Amino acid sequence: MARRSLALVVLALLLFGGLARAEQTQRGNLIVTLDGRFSPLALPRDRPAPVAVRLDAGLRTADGSTLPRVTRVELGIPGQGVITTRGLPTCRPRVLRDATAAKALEACRPALIGRGEMVAEVKIPHQEPFTAHARLRAFNGRVRGQRAVIVHGVAKRPPTAIVLPFLFRLRPGRFGTVLVAHLPRTLGPWPRFADFEMRLSRRYTYRGRRLSYLAATCPIPKRFSAGFFSFAKATFTLAGGRRVSTGIARSCRAR
Amino acid sequence: MPRSIAIALLTLLLLAADVSAAEGPTRDEYVGRLEAICKPDALATQRAMKGARADIRAERLPAAAGKFAKAASIFGSTVREISAAPRPPADTVRLRKWFVYLNRQADYLRQITGELRRDHAIKAQRLTARFIHNGNLANNVVLAFGFDYCSFKFSRYG
Repeated sequence: MARRSLALVVLALLLFGGLARAEQTQRGNLIVTLDGRFSPLALPRDRPAPVAVRLDAGLRTADGSTLPRVTRVELGIPGQGVITTRGLPTCRPRVLRDATAAKALEACRPALIGRGEMVAEVKIPHQEPFTAHARLRAFNGRVRGQRAVIVHGVAKRPPTAIVLPFLFRLRPGRFGTVLVAHLPRTLGPWPRFADFEMRLSRRYTYRGRRLSYLAATCPIPKRFSAGFFSFAKATFTLAGGRRVSTGIARSCRAR
Repeated sequence: MPRSIAIALLTLLLLAADVSAAEGPTRDEYVGRLEAICKPDALATQRAMKGARADIRAERLPAAAGKFAKAASIFGSTVREISAAPRPPADTVRLRKWFVYLNRQADYLRQITGELRRDHAIKAQRLTARFIHNGNLANNVVLAFGFDYCSFKFSRYG
């Protein structure tokens, strides 16, 4: 019996662990990767339950040459996901501009919904290229009346602070909600986006009710124990208008 | 004398290399040719699988089986057609590996169809996990080719 359950666990790890690898797509010389997961893996079939989501998206060139400049990033979220911001405090991008990580948290901690990291290649003419690492914090916000995720990034070398609002757009199709960010021209031509990793999760209380910023269901019939769905899609628009994208499928277990 | 032999040998080698290069298409030509085959089939698969997810959610497994059967038939014929296309000589090993994965994909689709027809929900579910995993592995083998319609995309399956 123990051997059988061990075999089942190994099988499950092989199947679901295998699904949780980064998917990649190559267009010309450019490779776009996307990885993601959510926890808990087991979700109710008929009502949304709180989840934490991790997304890791990146760009690299097949031959190691300089990355193109990214002008726009889109992240598609599937219909199984529910984003609740009712009663959640908001943060204004203006407050975060030029703020250190500590100042940003001081001003917007109640609106904090996630953390992450970003890597950019910096190639300044007549200088050795280097990699810039930025620590990211994501805040619930509003931009021109629209719901948004305000990403605040702080890098030590070179000392930089950026504010990147991802606006919510509703679209027909598999990815009903899309988070769209335009990379500002003020960043200059040198930093080239290479990779970002973001973990989003926030539980809060509003009018006596426990709410979650992110929630999801695993809507499968009783006879199935797991389901598969398109989990996320990342699309990068490059300077010049070319677009590269990749999507990932993940599985959920019903509880 | 030995110098002239060396020159003759070198000329022969160069000629042989030229002939072998002329034997197969370049990678770009190959990708273009395959994409032209895969595009109508990928679109047909998407049409055939429309509503399969809803069928499974509503436990209409025979209806879903019918859609998987159609997708399996389209996929099988695509693989047969693209496997007949001449391959770039430099990529034969890699493409052989890709075709192993593609044949396995076709097999998984047939097996999923069978299990859905037999009303074996859990077996179909396990095979679907393998189908997705195998599809991603297939994509990784030919990543540098930059296939679009010939690559595995989960979103095409309902």
